[in-house]
Amino acid sequence: MIIAVSGKGGTGKTVVASFLVKILSKEGDLLAIDADPDANLADTLGIETKKTIGTVREELMRDRDKLPPTQSWRQKLEYDVMGATIETDTFDLLVMGRPEGQGCYCPLNHVLREIIDTVAKNYDFVIIDAEAGLEHLSRRTTQDVDVMLVVTDPSKRGVTTAQRIKELAEHLEINFKGLYLIANRTTKESEKKMSDYAKEVGLEVIGTIPEDEKVRKFDFEGRPLIEIEDSKALNAVEKIVKKLVKQ
Amino acid sequence: MSKLPVDVGIIYEGERIRKANMYADLAGPKSKGAELLKVVAASKVKDGSVTVIGPDLKDMKEGSAYPFGVSIEVSGKKLEEDLEGVFERRIHDFMNYIQGMMHLNSRDIIWCRISKEANKAGLGLNHVGQAMVDLFKAEFDVIEKIQVTFYTDDKKIDKFLKDARAAYEKRDAKVRGLKDEDVDTFYGCLLCQSFAPKHVCTITPSRTSSCGSITWFEGRAAVKVDPKGPIFAVEKGEVIDLEKGEYSGINEMTVERSNGEVERVYLHSLFDYPHTSCGCFEAIGFYIPEVDGIGVVHRDFRGVTPFGIPFSTMAGQVGGGVQSEGFQGMAIEYMRSSKFFAADGGWQRTVWMPKALKDRIGNDIPEDVRDKIATEEEATDLDSLKAFLKEKNHPVVARWKEAVQASADGGIAVSQFEMPVAGVPMAGGGMTIIFKNAKIYAEKVIIKRNDK
Ligand code: SF4
Repeated sequence: MIIAVSGKGGTGKTVVASFLVKILSKEGDLLAIDADPDANLADTLGIETKKTIGTVREELMRDRDKLPPTQSWRQKLEYDVMGATIETDTFDLLVMGRPEGQGCYCPLNHVLREIIDTVAKNYDFVIIDAEAGLEHLSRRTTQDVDVMLVVTDPSKRGVTTAQRIKELAEHLEINFKGLYLIANRTTKESEKKMSDYAKEVGLEVIGTIPEDEKVRKFDFEGRPLIEIEDSKALNAVEKIVKKLVKQ
Repeated sequence: MSKLPVDVGIIYEGERIRKANMYADLAGPKSKGAELLKVVAASKVKDGSVTVIGPDLKDMKEGSAYPFGVSIEVSGKKLEEDLEGVFERRIHDFMNYIQGMMHLNSRDIIWCRISKEANKAGLGLNHVGQAMVDLFKAEFDVIEKIQVTFYTDDKKIDKFLKDARAAYEKRDAKVRGLKDEDVDTFYGCLLCQSFAPKHVCTITPSRTSSCGSITWFEGRAAVKVDPKGPIFAVEKGEVIDLEKGEYSGINEMTVERSNGEVERVYLHSLFDYPHTSCGCFEAIGFYIPEVDGIGVVHRDFRGVTPFGIPFSTMAGQVGGGVQSEGFQGMAIEYMRSSKFFAADGGWQRTVWMPKALKDRIGNDIPEDVRDKIATEEEATDLDSLKAFLKEKNHPVVARWKEAVQASADGGIAVSQFEMPVAGVPMAGGGMTIIFKNAKIYAEKVIIKRNDK
């Protein structure tokens, strides 16, 4: 199951992604993909990053014509992607890094996508922390996404953002089976309003995440969110997972 | 197929073994290793034998990395040394067929991993070797005898590594000399059609793709991985013109893939039917009529060409998947090809390129012209370029004289715009006229200076 979590910065998207990793890595083999260079999923997962896929790509671009003629860079890239995979005891992580610089990267990106697709098939769960603009997905970090979760703050504007992401995803022909809204930092009354707003535009709110002291404290102290054991927000994500897996 | 403790089959290709499920790493970034396949005399091969020099899997410490050398020796009446590379690349596939074993890359940058389950099932290197013996024999009838040796001993592997590297080097040297005439199959790539709908790259041993990413070998590898993908094989067909690089198979393919827009392609010429340019080429080769020479500018160069325009402006004019006579998007690697614009005179006609590019190609530029090619340090416009070439007596200067001679004789055949105009001094800057898709026939062309 491939789940992409998207939403604007500051909406709690990475909180949701981190909790999904925490919860689902107990259920099976899990690959997390940090595809938002501004969000730092690795940080909230408590992982020091080594090499990003972006760096791997830059290095190949630079050294390509130094490779021996019988060394296929496609195979070398496979090796390097494996080398850039951060392997922990409970899950693996790929950090995509910055988009490319100068020059033509089409063949490299095409091959990277093939490699990541093949790699992804080895996991029960793939969690992608995606940008709101879906840049990485449009460059096809992965081919298909089963579930797209859009995290928003409790506001009408948030719902509009979700709507836009939905349109964008359709436009980019990212095939997903379901697209749901998650409202973050909700209060009782905003919860109801959100689901009404969503209904108006044909979206479904799959869950809400309450304001959480613990998350704020961990965030403030720069501690990895994945270490949070018991909290309102974590429980809320657990509920969402139950709904998702049931489908 | 012999009986092994684990399954062997194509369905295990692409199997990744996570660290959490890893028994041992073989070679990889934390250790060393290589694989080498050699064709040897039949008397040297004990058919079917598998030797392990160093600890076998069961004696390894769980969670550690070990050196891994794979030496495969084959013999057969019909075998030639040239097949070694082709066979060797199959080690990657065959090892991946083994359930619970992962294999990445080739040569001396390999990375294998054995899963905990495979170890529990009792997989040993003797089994891995047995699988190699069976799979190679099943796949290639010409292999009559085969033996496998594994090196996992930290010291004893070193000599093998050295031998392997020497063998690769020898092979690479041969491959570098491979030319269009040595193969029957070329490759095409359609990846850039997303933004240049008529563009198709033709990839041959002497012509790396315009983006510089796909060499002929890479093309071959890509087709093997994904035969229905954007990179595909093309039979080159009949040789229409070896020097210009025109092939019936390539013409047919181009007509088909460009929706009939492009009918003929000269792979190694800037004139008449040059290769189309997509947009993501590494460099542009361009004809400079004023000096009757060829310039090359690469993407990283921020300055201006002798035409007074930078790479980006030129790229905007030539891209989009059309044939622009006198211009061509190309790979930097193409400058190392023995057919580099061969039909037009190649290096003997090359007059300008950025300094950084010249340094990068360095010794691959033939020595007799190396110092005669100007860079932005010597020539920033057409006048300074002309002066430089004259001073160095670049081979193109001889062409100017011929051209002047020809016009003195009265009447020259004009073949489109490539007419040398060396005899006509241009005022600073000058002007370039590009005719696209134009055929001009003229009995006589007279160009007069407008002296007031
Ligand atoms: S430039 Fe590269 S990616 Fe584009 S069509 Fe040619 S080979 Fe393919």
